Amino acid sequence: MSPVPPNPLLEQFISESRDLLEASGKKLMQLEDAPDDQVILNELFRCVHTLKGNSGLFTFPEMTRVLHAGEDLLGMVRSGQAIYSRELADRLLDAMDYVGLLCGEIEATDGIDASRALESQHLADALRKLMPNLIPNQDAAAVRDGDSPVVANAQTSPADNPSADLKQFAAIPAVARKSALERCRQGDQLHWISYRPQRECFFHGDDPLNSARQTPGLIWGRILAPGPLPPLSELDTYSCLLGFDLLTNAPREELDQYYRYLPDQVEIIAVPAQWLEKGHGDADGASKALSRAIPSGSFSEDDEAAFNWILAAQRQILLLDDRPAWHAGRLKAIAEVLANLSQAVGETSTRSDIQTALAEALSTGHNTLLLAWLDAWIVTRKTIQPVAGLSWARGTDGIMAAAKTDSNLDVGSATAGDPSKAPADEGVRFGRRAEDSLTGTRSLKVDQTKIDRLMNLIGELVVEKNALPYLAQRAEVQFGSRELSREIKGQYSVINRIADEMQDAIMQVRMMAVSFVFQRFPRLVRDTSRKLGKEVQLVLEGEQTEADKNIIESLADPLIHIVRNSLDHGLESPEVRLAAGKPATGKLTIRAAQEADRVVIEIVDDGKGIDPAVIKQKAYEKGIIDEATLERISDQEAINLIFAAGLSTAAVISDLSGRGVGMDVVRSAVEKINGTVVIESELGKGTSIRISLPLSMAVTQVMVIESDGQLFGVPMDHVIETVRVTRDSIHAIKQTKTAVLRGRIVPLKSLNTLLGIAAIPRLNSDDELAVLLVQAGNAELGLIVDGFQETMGVIQKPFSGFLTGLSAYSGSALMGDGSVLMILNIREIV
Amino acid sequence: MRRILIVDDAATVRMYHRGILESAGYLVEEAWNGIEALEKALEAPFDLYIVDINMPKLDGYGFLRELRQQQIAQQPAVMVSTEAAAGDERMAYQSGANSYLVKPVVQSQLLSHVRLLLGEANQ
Amino acid sequence: MPIEFKKNRALFRDEVSVEEAEALLEWLQTRPTAKVDLSACSHLHTANLQVLMTAKAGVSNWPKNAELRSWLEPALKSGE
Repeated sequence: MSPVPPNPLLEQFISESRDLLEASGKKLMQLEDAPDDQVILNELFRCVHTLKGNSGLFTFPEMTRVLHAGEDLLGMVRSGQAIYSRELADRLLDAMDYVGLLCGEIEATDGIDASRALESQHLADALRKLMPNLIPNQDAAAVRDGDSPVVANAQTSPADNPSADLKQFAAIPAVARKSALERCRQGDQLHWISYRPQRECFFHGDDPLNSARQTPGLIWGRILAPGPLPPLSELDTYSCLLGFDLLTNAPREELDQYYRYLPDQVEIIAVPAQWLEKGHGDADGASKALSRAIPSGSFSEDDEAAFNWILAAQRQILLLDDRPAWHAGRLKAIAEVLANLSQAVGETSTRSDIQTALAEALSTGHNTLLLAWLDAWIVTRKTIQPVAGLSWARGTDGIMAAAKTDSNLDVGSATAGDPSKAPADEGVRFGRRAEDSLTGTRSLKVDQTKIDRLMNLIGELVVEKNALPYLAQRAEVQFGSRELSREIKGQYSVINRIADEMQDAIMQVRMMAVSFVFQRFPRLVRDTSRKLGKEVQLVLEGEQTEADKNIIESLADPLIHIVRNSLDHGLESPEVRLAAGKPATGKLTIRAAQEADRVVIEIVDDGKGIDPAVIKQKAYEKGIIDEATLERISDQEAINLIFAAGLSTAAVISDLSGRGVGMDVVRSAVEKINGTVVIESELGKGTSIRISLPLSMAVTQVMVIESDGQLFGVPMDHVIETVRVTRDSIHAIKQTKTAVLRGRIVPLKSLNTLLGIAAIPRLNSDDELAVLLVQAGNAELGLIVDGFQETMGVIQKPFSGFLTGLSAYSGSALMGDGSVLMILNIREIV
Repeated sequence: MRRILIVDDAATVRMYHRGILESAGYLVEEAWNGIEALEKALEAPFDLYIVDINMPKLDGYGFLRELRQQQIAQQPAVMVSTEAAAGDERMAYQSGANSYLVKPVVQSQLLSHVRLLLGEANQ
Repeated sequence: MPIEFKKNRALFRDEVSVEEAEALLEWLQTRPTAKVDLSACSHLHTANLQVLMTAKAGVSNWPKNAELRSWLEPALKSGE
């Protein structure tokens, strides 16, 4: 397959759609807690509305259909015609998921597979089923168009019905159409009547069918059911459910007279002949007659339509009898438009007439002169008689609809062939602009790889600059130049400062709010709890807390796992909760906060808690602990066993928290990014899991220690303190060496022994051993080493290749003198 | 060059309209809501405004009313909507629009409109 | 009688008024396969029409009145 040339408009569409989908999902979640919040509802509506509008620029009927249904439904919720419900939210979320799926498909293949049509129809139907008094998309023509309002609401008043939609002209059979055009040519004005009788009209003695049949000048008419017809068993014979569309050549006055008792039930619109032809496709006499009436110059068909339309619109505005505060401005704009229109047809002399008429209108408050001028101009221009503006807007729609289905009109041809092409693709460049980002949010979207590259470069710089102190030392020691050495040191401190700031700045760029991960929880909690039949209130706190992107990203899976565990095993069903004297709705809090240079995330539930006895028994059964341990293990230690591999506490493993995958996976994931995880639980009260992570994983502060002449790094996260212990204060309890440090008995281990180095630890001149007190999980441990050196920030690189098997080390770092520092993985070695 | 302001919260629609208008040689600026549009218009009025209805902060109607209320030269404005709804169209005119188009507006239709509203003779 | 009800067929004659609608509805409710003969019908009240449309009643004979037929045929055929 040949590569598809990138289409910036399509890319923009996909990217904006993703943003809007995300926002929609969020709003839906918020609505769940506050179904009456009009602000959120409006925002949600606008998201879906914009999505739909955008999709209409392309030929993606599957997407547009679903979005249109969603928009209609939300519109009804907004106006109070439909009620927000969980089911409604479910269907909308389904629809959003589906649209997201389509986005992916469009991105991958530049189009949507035709097989999607049925799914899309099902989803749209599901949405429409939730609309009161509406029937699923029945109109085959509307399905083809993909975006037309499908059914009219039987309850809305006739005037609100988009009854005069030009698409309906397509229903006029050719014979009637021809006859209508013939009469048009003879100078008759055609009128379209949309007659929507009141439901109770039978009681007033009306027989709408009879009225329709007797309509003066009738050329064609049809009977239709604007709303759904009920099942036969529920039909109310005396409630009128039918409506009529009529085409007549009777003059307006006669029609007004005929329908004078039903003014609120009919809508009468003058129909220019060209509208009838648009649907017809062939040009005949009437259209030629029309183009003769159009002003000079080589007006295209579109120009003609636009000219007439704008003219009619100005007339309609002039006929408005309101006088709002912006009335003067509105008048001036009309005058400007009229002057421009006459200029466009080469009549520049009219400008002064218009100005005079405008001045009069402004001073007297009456538009008479402007209207008179406009009407006179229309007559001299012999343009078609302008009518109430309604038909003009519909007219566009008609043009659009005709163009869409009729590929021999140039406007539609671009869309007809290649679905990925924008309608106006030829000769038009859709360039992405710098302003795009400025006019949108004031932020810049940068490819992640570019940031990663910056990160790598600054990492190298930080390491390379560390070579300077060595150089200074060599200058002094090897070359005896103290002055040069001092200068190098001076330069070093400058570079050092800049590098630090730069590093900090790049870190800031990489910082991301935890909301990136948190935002999926509302949906997750909602779906999962519903599946489990539980009522759960989710509380998110500190969503704006930031941390390095990698940290945030690697946080997602462990957090999801913990949340699922809480929902699955922690929080009880409403009945159980009520029986235990708790509120039926459980509470799950996910809280993020920054503490010094770490991000702390807590997941707290008020569920049933963890029973240490059960854990102990399970652990024993599975051979994780022996009988002796079973006897003496504390409750807290037992609860910590939940992180041990191969322990699953739930009696039934549900499909939600994952079969056979326990909390051990969470722990290793967290530890991989230098984090720690602590669990606390109280039986019957709930469980709290606390994850502490570094703000950034790019630079690790390590303490450099020496053992058997080699240097090692120990991440500062694990270092509690460095102490010197005299040999005689070391006691052996059983086989373990211990010392009393900070008032507690701490086991001591020799680093050499742990690493399999044969040498014994060196004592200093005072007969003391150097002990590094470290935190390994929940335990404290004294590491006996030979000596301590400085702490430094290093860029830790994970091992690659065969070295990855060395679990004693978490990675390596390059030192300023070019040597490699091995970073100890404290948890693994103890 | 004639300056046109596209007011729409949908970036895709802005890009689409911009593409059409720039290919015809117009100078295009964008605003993504009514407030931003108003700020830009008051700074230096445009020759034509193409305005979406549904936008955050200040919608298209609101923008037009404010614009028409200002004591500045009043230039033509076209309202673009996704709906061919009579109520919306009336409201657009009432608020100060000079024309009403239904999205998606095809290239030739948009250009015809723009040319005529700007008083440009057809070549 | 403007409507003559037979076993499984209803014959419409001349003008069928609104008063007939209820009887027509009841009759059709129990006869899902019933057909109507409109050949002799010159007008039927809207209420009767919507009963026929709702019931999706089959039409055995269309009105001889061509104008009436042109109204009814599209409306009642779509129900079939």
